[in-house]
Amino acid sequence: MALTVDPALALVLRAGLALLFASAAAHKLRDFGAFRDALEGYRLVPAPALGVFAGGLIAAELGTAAALVLGEHGGVAAAALLGLYSAAIALNLARGLREIDCGCFGPALRQPLSLALVLRNLLLIALAGVCLLPVGMRALAPLDALTIAAGVALGALLHGAVNGLIANAPRLRALRNA
Amino acid sequence: MEQALYVSNVLLWIAVLALGAVVFALVRQIGVLYERVAPAGALMLAGGPKVGEAAPRFALADVLGRATSLGGEDPEQRDTLLLFVSPTCPVCKTLLPVAKSLAARESRVSRQAGLRLVFASDGQQEDHAGFVRKHALDAYPYVVSTELGLAHQVGKLPHAVLWDAHGIVRAKGLVNSREHLESLFEAMDRGVASIQEYVSRAGGSR
Repeated sequence: MALTVDPALALVLRAGLALLFASAAAHKLRDFGAFRDALEGYRLVPAPALGVFAGGLIAAELGTAAALVLGEHGGVAAAALLGLYSAAIALNLARGLREIDCGCFGPALRQPLSLALVLRNLLLIALAGVCLLPVGMRALAPLDALTIAAGVALGALLHGAVNGLIANAPRLRALRNA
Repeated sequence: MEQALYVSNVLLWIAVLALGAVVFALVRQIGVLYERVAPAGALMLAGGPKVGEAAPRFALADVLGRATSLGGEDPEQRDTLLLFVSPTCPVCKTLLPVAKSLAARESRVSRQAGLRLVFASDGQQEDHAGFVRKHALDAYPYVVSTELGLAHQVGKLPHAVLWDAHGIVRAKGLVNSREHLESLFEAMDRGVASIQEYVSRAGGSR
């Protein structure tokens, strides 16, 4: 028997990831300048191309969100985009450039780069991979509506909480070393 | 049976969502706490020589009979941290090792000519000899002088005054924690009267 994913779980993951990318694009659009500054901090994109590149990333995030909602292969785009971000973070961690703003959650939640961010992205990539498995045959029952809605809401809450913890970690370290 | 599973599933989802919301709220609160806790500064009380004025000069003998001069130009160009304590003040006791380690670090790392740590108190001399022995303070001058406390208008303990090699007060205040003590050095290095002043000044441009 081939490995399949339950339709309710697949919908939870697709909707959750779509929400994630849509909110990521939203906070980047709300403060485009801050996002461009963060991108500049990564020192991966030449200065003249920064604006275009930042705009392209936001468009890619919106496109990924739409693809996740509409089709069954949005997981590929999600995994690719997350992989790109993880690679950018890992590259800068490797060259010791960790004191730059991650730009992950908008200017409200500034935080330096860390391994935790890469691990979080890898987990999200794994979830995007689960979306790509063939969906099992099962008729959705009314209870599945609750499962899906509550599952997405819980995913958003947990994602927010984990991001908060990752952002707090360097502050806690600063206090400990004081 | 199926009905029971239905009900329990719905209730469990509600409970899980509620817990998720609580965890999220807690993480946010922790973030706010870090924000508030970060720049803790020593509380400055009115009275006594102000920041920028000369520290009052005193020539005293400490509890072990060593001559100790306070204020004015320091012959070895050291900065001076004067810490007012009392054997009967519990916060002072917890602050003693902190002050010693901080003084050692400051004198090793940050101050060019070193830092002189001086303890001060008032009351009967004999009460203090035991205090000095018990907390191993004999490496530092420990003066007992009511006049010194009056000159600095010390109201609450532990109170610290930091002045530079020329005897000019650079920071002072009520110090209850390591952060407070450090804030005095921070204020001195940044050329501000207090960390509170620095934060309110930086707040405008943030």
